Amino acid sequence: MIIVMKADSTAAEIGAVIARVQKAGASPHPIYGEERTVVAVVGETRRISPEAFRKMPGVERLTTISAPFKLASRESHADDTTFRVGGYRIGGPEIVIMAGPCSVESRSQLLETAHAVKEAGAHILRGGAFKPRSSPYSFQGLGLKGLEILAEAREIYNMPIITEVMTPDAVAMIAEYADILQIGARNMQNFGLLHAVGRIQRPVLLKRGMMNSMEELLMSAEYILSGGNYQVMLCERGIRTFEKYTRNTFDLNAVPILKQLSHLPVIADPSHATGRWDAVTPMARAAIAAGADGIIVEVHPHPEEALSDGPQSLKPERFADLVRQVKRIAAAMDRTVPDPEPAPTPVLDY
Amino acid sequence: MIVVMKPSASEEDLQRVLERVDVLGLEAHLSPGESHTIIGLVGETARISLNAFEVMPGVERVVRVAEPFKLANREFHPQDTIIQVGNVSIGEKKLVIMAGPCSVESRSQLLETAHAVKEAGAHILRGGAFKPRSSPYSFQGLGEEGLKYLAEAREIYDMPIITEVMAPEEVALVASYADILQIGARNMQNYRLLQAVGKVDKPVFLKRGLSGAIQELLMSAEYVMANGNPNVMLVERGIRTYETYTRNTFDINAIPALKQLSHLPVIGDPSHGTGKWRLVTPIAKAAIAAGADGLMIEVHPRPSEAFSDGAQSLKPKRFQTLMAELRVLAEALGRAL
Repeated sequence: MIIVMKADSTAAEIGAVIARVQKAGASPHPIYGEERTVVAVVGETRRISPEAFRKMPGVERLTTISAPFKLASRESHADDTTFRVGGYRIGGPEIVIMAGPCSVESRSQLLETAHAVKEAGAHILRGGAFKPRSSPYSFQGLGLKGLEILAEAREIYNMPIITEVMTPDAVAMIAEYADILQIGARNMQNFGLLHAVGRIQRPVLLKRGMMNSMEELLMSAEYILSGGNYQVMLCERGIRTFEKYTRNTFDLNAVPILKQLSHLPVIADPSHATGRWDAVTPMARAAIAAGADGIIVEVHPHPEEALSDGPQSLKPERFADLVRQVKRIAAAMDRTVPDPEPAPTPVLDY
Repeated sequence: MIVVMKPSASEEDLQRVLERVDVLGLEAHLSPGESHTIIGLVGETARISLNAFEVMPGVERVVRVAEPFKLANREFHPQDTIIQVGNVSIGEKKLVIMAGPCSVESRSQLLETAHAVKEAGAHILRGGAFKPRSSPYSFQGLGEEGLKYLAEAREIYDMPIITEVMAPEEVALVASYADILQIGARNMQNYRLLQAVGKVDKPVFLKRGLSGAIQELLMSAEYVMANGNPNVMLVERGIRTYETYTRNTFDINAIPALKQLSHLPVIGDPSHGTGKWRLVTPIAKAAIAAGADGLMIEVHPRPSEAFSDGAQSLKPKRFQTLMAELRVLAEALGRAL
């Protein structure tokens, strides 16, 4: 249920509505829009009497949200959600480019990649420290050491960092280092983890599970939003189908649909969606043409030596070409790719 | 197997290679390139050693093609295939837009739509006369009457026409009206039909089956080509997955994959690829951004009254807007509309 406040309602009137929702045992989520405020009511709503709220001062009307996802729905929040990460706005007319290696393998590998992607025009540095690998015998990531290397790269290159968190008990520790927490595809329905990232105030990149529907993705976003963390990005990264020529099938239909159903920023991952480096650039272009707010791309200086995802990693020069092409598509779509913020001092002694 | 001739190879060298191909009981497909001439060999090549050609004068190298599709393979034919339909070239820098109603419902409906899509800048008119419907109780198309309306629209609006052929015995009839023969998704592996359209001299628009793999689509193209028709377009129109929010899942990966694997033109069908008119515009743009050579789009003057596919049909005005947006995008990609 959504309680739409009048355009001239006062803070006290909004406060009274919020208090009454709480008293009825439900959770109020006020959304302060440009024109008016709405209070989304989720949780146990059976004891709520719409009549009582309709009569309250400052209330214009009550509506219900038909979708099972409420806070993630565009019905509750007509404007696009935007938030800042470092100096960049996500979800606005600007396109955000996140890039870096699949795994942090060593200090020199990460710094070399960070340097290259920054030069090419990436805004945010990605790198996995805790890796969910299909085989227990594969490289599992550098763990805490990887986070420290990422934090160092952030300082040197003035780039916010995104890295994956795999378990609820690691959330606090990773949030100390990372600017964006990534929930991987295999954890899209790890509800304990979703609860945990919902309780902190740090942007989350939520990847669609390889066997999950768009509605399930939005329900997982709802878990995070309902915990009080409204900074969620939805990420399409390919789904599993009968087609084995590519690692996954990039469900590009999801990009315009998620933008229609939800107000949250939508990011595309052409690296996992294809699994083939030679398809990453055309799919990055396609994602932007379909309306994505950004991309996350795997880049490795020596893909043939990568400890993970080598076949889908771009070499730095190919990534630079990708950024140039994405800029042209963005311009044709009336969007922009901001120039990266300058790094404090050009440090190259890795 | 592919024989790559040296840039310096003489006509005589080439003839000698072709003679040996003949002696060995193989079929040669010549692809003259800017520097190298390439001879694609089809037949029982497994038993022939590379040496049989490698030692011949003028031969640079001989390679085996690992994929089971040969004539459709880019290794056989490195240059993009360009298909000429009337004065429209398909597979070139200039994108080709095919538009029209799902079904030809009446003369006036078709002419009204043809007029609208022509005005918006479409190059080729689509319309189904023989309709493969999931239910036997649904409208099955106007048949030959529909073909006549299409032919009339072609004359009035000077647009080549594309329409579906469903059965081998109807190929001659449909080919007598249509400029392009469409093989629908449900017939991608109807091998008799593929053989039949392989024997006519009309380009074929081959749609990927709902559960056809990329390689299976290329093998179906191979059927058409092996029967003598080299003019095949490959069409991505969405595949079946567990996601049912959309009618199909548009497998956009297929576009760069097909362009890499094959020299044939690749067309995107965002109408069937999504099943929802609201998604047609963004997915049409994405298909072009991914490298498609053209699009097929369903347009109906009154989608709410359409006999078929109303939910995924664009109104003429939206189609016009899409065309304007595609023009800007095409330019950003170094292509044209």
